[in-house]
Amino acid sequence: MSRVETLALNDSGFAFDPMSGESFTLNETAIEIIKAVKEGKNEREIAEQLSTVYEVETLDSFTDVLDFIKQLKNFGLVD
Amino acid sequence: MKGLKIALSGINDTDNPGPGVGVARSLKESNLDVTTIGLSYDIQDPGNYMGFVIDKSFVLPYPNKGWQAIFLHLLKIKQKMGLDMVLPNLDAELPLYIKHQSDLEKEGIKSFLPTQEQFDLRAKEHLAPLSEALGIFYPKTFKTTNVEELKEALKELDFPAVVKGNYYKAYIVSNLSDAIRRFSEIANEWGYPILVQEMVKGDELNVVGVGDGKGGSLGMVAAKKMTTTAMGKFWNGISIEHKALMEVAEKFLKKTSWRGAFELECMVDGNTIYMIEINPRFPAWVYFATGLGVNLPQRLVDFSMGKEVDTQSNYQAGKMMIRYTYETIADIQELSHLATQGESYE
Repeated sequence: MSRVETLALNDSGFAFDPMSGESFTLNETAIEIIKAVKEGKNEREIAEQLSTVYEVETLDSFTDVLDFIKQLKNFGLVD
Repeated sequence: MKGLKIALSGINDTDNPGPGVGVARSLKESNLDVTTIGLSYDIQDPGNYMGFVIDKSFVLPYPNKGWQAIFLHLLKIKQKMGLDMVLPNLDAELPLYIKHQSDLEKEGIKSFLPTQEQFDLRAKEHLAPLSEALGIFYPKTFKTTNVEELKEALKELDFPAVVKGNYYKAYIVSNLSDAIRRFSEIANEWGYPILVQEMVKGDELNVVGVGDGKGGSLGMVAAKKMTTTAMGKFWNGISIEHKALMEVAEKFLKKTSWRGAFELECMVDGNTIYMIEINPRFPAWVYFATGLGVNLPQRLVDFSMGKEVDTQSNYQAGKMMIRYTYETIADIQELSHLATQGESYE
């Protein structure tokens, strides 16, 4: 199980990793991406979801999603 | 004075706090009917003036005066007000209490301490093989007793490195002169050997618990240090749920059949766990566990008295411990009583 799945998340954008004790503040888009990762969606599905919600090109949101997931990997939150 | 009379040391609730006040507070907040007796090594220890957690305190001779001096004081306390159990909480005195547990037992004073063999197993010079047996890592460490050895050891390590005493104090050093300064500082205060250790990166995660002496646990809590003092002491922390770390703690208990309180100090970098230290006692943050519903001092006392004990370690991750400073006002007569009579007012 990747650590992002156990991440405690509230709607104001505060996330707590119960394993490491680290906490993070997230913007609205980041919350949405993390929620989608927790639901098991892949990068493409998340990008499509974001492009619908924020009315942006899927290609643009896909790049953003990849960037953000890379950050999650750096924090050890996804494998 | 009522109920169980339990003496405990480490009531130096200063910026380098001893565990005594946290232990006493845990006992006071339990359902035990208990009188807490502080064993103090300094008449200005704050615990001597904290009547709300320490009912009575006595001044003891320093551990370097030997066991007989401490033991006679304990017997005097027993004679004066009764003494059912003693909970030593300071590193410097633990070897004496461990070695002479049977003296206490003969006098009907309970303790619940590791055996000499268990105590030796977690000594800093034995931590490498023990860590390996637990399936985790131990930073490269050298034992030194003079500056030449220190220099040799540092050739094998990169800066920054850690220079630490066998019992107390650890400093991060970034160059040779810094290392020599800290080496001398620790040696002057605490003696030799001085350990020189590889600096490992990661989060400092700690586990506090009690072993039942048969390989089982009476409860454990893991926490991450969020803020430390200049000496690296736990100040603010957060409870965590770290399965791998808890498994290491369980393995430690099983492998050593650990008896009594313990604290594992680890550095965790992703999936890599380094053992830094195993303390054979409660840490100063033990009240955090109590606040989370895992009252370890109470469990230790109950278990040692042969009572049934709740051994669950269910607590919520994401709870914070905030330590703060607080002032209390005392009359000079209280200090005078401690200085001249060796004990606090009734």
